[in-house]
Amino acid sequence: MDYLYHILVIALIYVIFASSLNLELGYAGLYNFGHVAFFAIGAYTSALLSLAGFSPAASMAIAVLCSAASGALLAVPALRLSGDYFGIATLAFGELARLFALNERWLTKGPMGLPGIPRPLGIEAGISGIPVYFFFTVTITAAVLLILRKTTMSPFGRALKVVREDEFVARAFGKNVFSLKVRAVAMGSLFAGLAGALYAHFVTYISPYDFSLNETILVLLCVVLGGKGTLSGPVLGAFVIILFQELLRFLPIPTDWGRFVSPIQGMIYGAVLVILMLKRPEGIIPEHRT
Amino acid sequence: MKRLPAVAVCLVVLLCAALAPAADEVVVGSITPLSGKLAVYGEGFQQAMLLALDEVNAAEGINGKPMRIHYEDNNSTAKDSVSAIQKLITVNKLPVIFGPAASSNFLAVCPIAQENKTILIGAESAAADITKCGDYVFRLFPSDELQGKGAAELAVSLGYKEVVLTYINNDWGVGLGRVFKDNFVKAGGKIIDEFSHDEGKTDYRTEILRIKKHSPRAAVNLTYIKEGATMLKQSYETGLKTQWLMGSASKSPKLVELAGEAAEGVIGTYPTFSQETPQYKHFKEVWAKKYPEKKVPVFGEYNYDMVHITAKALRASKSYTSQDIRAALIEAAKGYMGVTGDKTFDENGDVGAVYGKWTVKAGIITDYRP
Amino acid sequence: MSGYYLQLMTNGIIAGAVYALFAVGLTLVYGVFRFINFAHGELIAWGAYLTLAFSALIPFGAAIFPAVALTVLIALTQERYVYAPLRKKTGITLLIASIGLSYFLRNGLRLLWGSDLQSFGFEAARGLVFFGITVSRTQIAMFLAAVIFLGFVWGLLRFTMLGKGLRAAADSLELAEIVGIDMKKIRRAVWIISAVFAASGGILIAIDTNLEPMMGIANLLKAFAAVLLGGAGNVWGALLGGLFIGIAENLGVAFFSPGYKDAISFALIIAILLFKPTGIFAIMKGMR
Repeated sequence: MDYLYHILVIALIYVIFASSLNLELGYAGLYNFGHVAFFAIGAYTSALLSLAGFSPAASMAIAVLCSAASGALLAVPALRLSGDYFGIATLAFGELARLFALNERWLTKGPMGLPGIPRPLGIEAGISGIPVYFFFTVTITAAVLLILRKTTMSPFGRALKVVREDEFVARAFGKNVFSLKVRAVAMGSLFAGLAGALYAHFVTYISPYDFSLNETILVLLCVVLGGKGTLSGPVLGAFVIILFQELLRFLPIPTDWGRFVSPIQGMIYGAVLVILMLKRPEGIIPEHRT
Repeated sequence: MKRLPAVAVCLVVLLCAALAPAADEVVVGSITPLSGKLAVYGEGFQQAMLLALDEVNAAEGINGKPMRIHYEDNNSTAKDSVSAIQKLITVNKLPVIFGPAASSNFLAVCPIAQENKTILIGAESAAADITKCGDYVFRLFPSDELQGKGAAELAVSLGYKEVVLTYINNDWGVGLGRVFKDNFVKAGGKIIDEFSHDEGKTDYRTEILRIKKHSPRAAVNLTYIKEGATMLKQSYETGLKTQWLMGSASKSPKLVELAGEAAEGVIGTYPTFSQETPQYKHFKEVWAKKYPEKKVPVFGEYNYDMVHITAKALRASKSYTSQDIRAALIEAAKGYMGVTGDKTFDENGDVGAVYGKWTVKAGIITDYRP
Repeated sequence: MSGYYLQLMTNGIIAGAVYALFAVGLTLVYGVFRFINFAHGELIAWGAYLTLAFSALIPFGAAIFPAVALTVLIALTQERYVYAPLRKKTGITLLIASIGLSYFLRNGLRLLWGSDLQSFGFEAARGLVFFGITVSRTQIAMFLAAVIFLGFVWGLLRFTMLGKGLRAAADSLELAEIVGIDMKKIRRAVWIISAVFAASGGILIAIDTNLEPMMGIANLLKAFAAVLLGGAGNVWGALLGGLFIGIAENLGVAFFSPGYKDAISFALIIAILLFKPTGIFAIMKGMR
């Protein structure tokens, strides 16, 4: 059942990716529309280092730190902006990261992409390595979720929610709002980078097309669909969306209808989103407000 | 939440249905862009494959068993191509798979096919790197290595020593641009200016201006139909007077339809095959019969040949294992004259090609004759 | 050589005018409802495709009117069944709903017309030359349309009761409601203006290039950047923001690889936001 493992690994990677965005969007209330940039930084750093001969595990570790650092570096100036302006600045950053990967061919090989990325811990490339990689990903995802659980239930996590609801109140309680937000973004970027590195070493091929605005939208949907500001929401959201997409493969549709199938799928996808926002705007698992 | 069990049941039922051993038939997998940005082309590939499939099955199929193509959509992305091939290899357990369009998607799946000793055949991927994929990877479409040479020879043969080079900023354009440059410089040519242009823009006037600044006698523009048409139209308006030299991806009646007058006189290269052969005439005839309202799509002939060669190999193969089919495939292609010419594989699983020259005259794409 | 830069400048101004044309609808929606309308690009594409459909039946000039009217109808239907029921919800909910609508409408286009490229079939014409600078007729039309439409909206906002209501709603939706402004009318007006701008912009872009289902999205990101540069809800700001981006990216091509054409505008957006977080042209608040 390697195919099932394959889907599950992809879903788990999106669980980490969505949870990392949830930390910023759900807990800190920061609309980061360029989150895919950190996924890309993680993926490219890890891929390039391991292709240059570093051990894949070490490459992943360095990549994760790189994305966290770039997240903090972006956050410091960008967090001076409020709400939607932060969103547009991060969106611009996300596009810049993609264009960099597309145009700096000496480093990233541009649109040709990077093939043959080795897997960490001696896990075999190809299908024989998938079950092992699955257990590797499960372990990491569990660790990430545990850390996130601890973080969000800590005073830091609760302070973030206060910041989200009312910055002035947070300030009145003597919280350093700016530092709280920077830490949230750095941590979000760290886990996004981790998801990116996992993705690169799993698929073993990356190209700039894997890191478009569409990815940000997809992961945003995972968060909002599942329920933002909850730990389990993004987990469920990621599974529902990834499995839904894969499930469509198994629908017995006559090949002759080809021309109509994909537009109709797209229309259904769109309609489901709209209906969901109308009926359940808080997501499948609404945040429990106290 | 209450609906989750129901969804789970559906999932299981569907999985079982998909896994149920198929009736006595020979199945080949295909990763085809049925959605996403390449959906424009995917539909045509599929129709061409189905046309060949009908013929195979009308001729007793594979030694009496019907042949079937199992399609997987890849949403035109590398990620979904990888998902699709994993499914085809592990769930459907197919030893032969037709690879996805777009070189970047093909490159993403070829190591997986090679690793699992699954035969991967491409009918439209041109990147030079695919040559290095391994001995289970084949393609019926000639490598860019050949087209780059062809384009450089075209420029030289027309007497252009200095050109401006621009290419579309994607896997195809960048790869082809590189090969062209190498060959053109080797032949003593000079590139005055070289730049890429973005995919899918509506305004290329500034890029055109950059060409105009050098007032070159010829500009080499390796691009797609949409971008090509917009650039030709906008350079016509700008009054740029240069000889456009283009590649195979913009050779389409659509380009002329969109650019109109502005496409007049463009010269390009393309991998050609004779349209006088009985094979081609037969293809034209059956296509018109099955799809009377549709023009032959881009790469349609290659997809048609791909299915026929595969069927020939499957018939000759000793068993339904990839090792045997691979040996039979190489044997089947040896000297095979398809619609698109001689399909003998070289040691890298590539085919040779003849490059022709096309031009637009009075709104019609024809062969260029000096 | 200066002619070269002057020509780049001109191209930039016209490209900017097109961004502005798309930005006005976005900025009004954003100004009044406070959410990013992702489905704006689909109104652009539907406007163009509907014109294509009608032009098969009636002359092109006449086909524009039913096409724009139908686009307005689509926008009002969205308002009636999606945006109005969601009016009390947060921006992110509305954003996701608009993403859903965008998928729905775009795939609807693909279902009806297919994914292939189409065109209105106008012949390419040589451009006109003024003082050594070449501009095409379509470019002139796009620029004029942008200026005239913007002038019209500005007049509407400045001198009519509806405009006053709109401005009040943009300042505070709640307050406007409290003082008894007919919110239904305001909401409808916003969508009508937005759709008219989107559809006419789409028709002009389609004349200039061609039609395909993704055509609306191509320029949307930059139109939105223009909105924020100009200050949300600010009509002249949208024009200035659009021009700024258009000129910057076109002049930039002279110095950088055109592969970085988009990057130039995005880098500028970040830089400007950092120095003037409320948008550079927000100073002209009085214009709203």
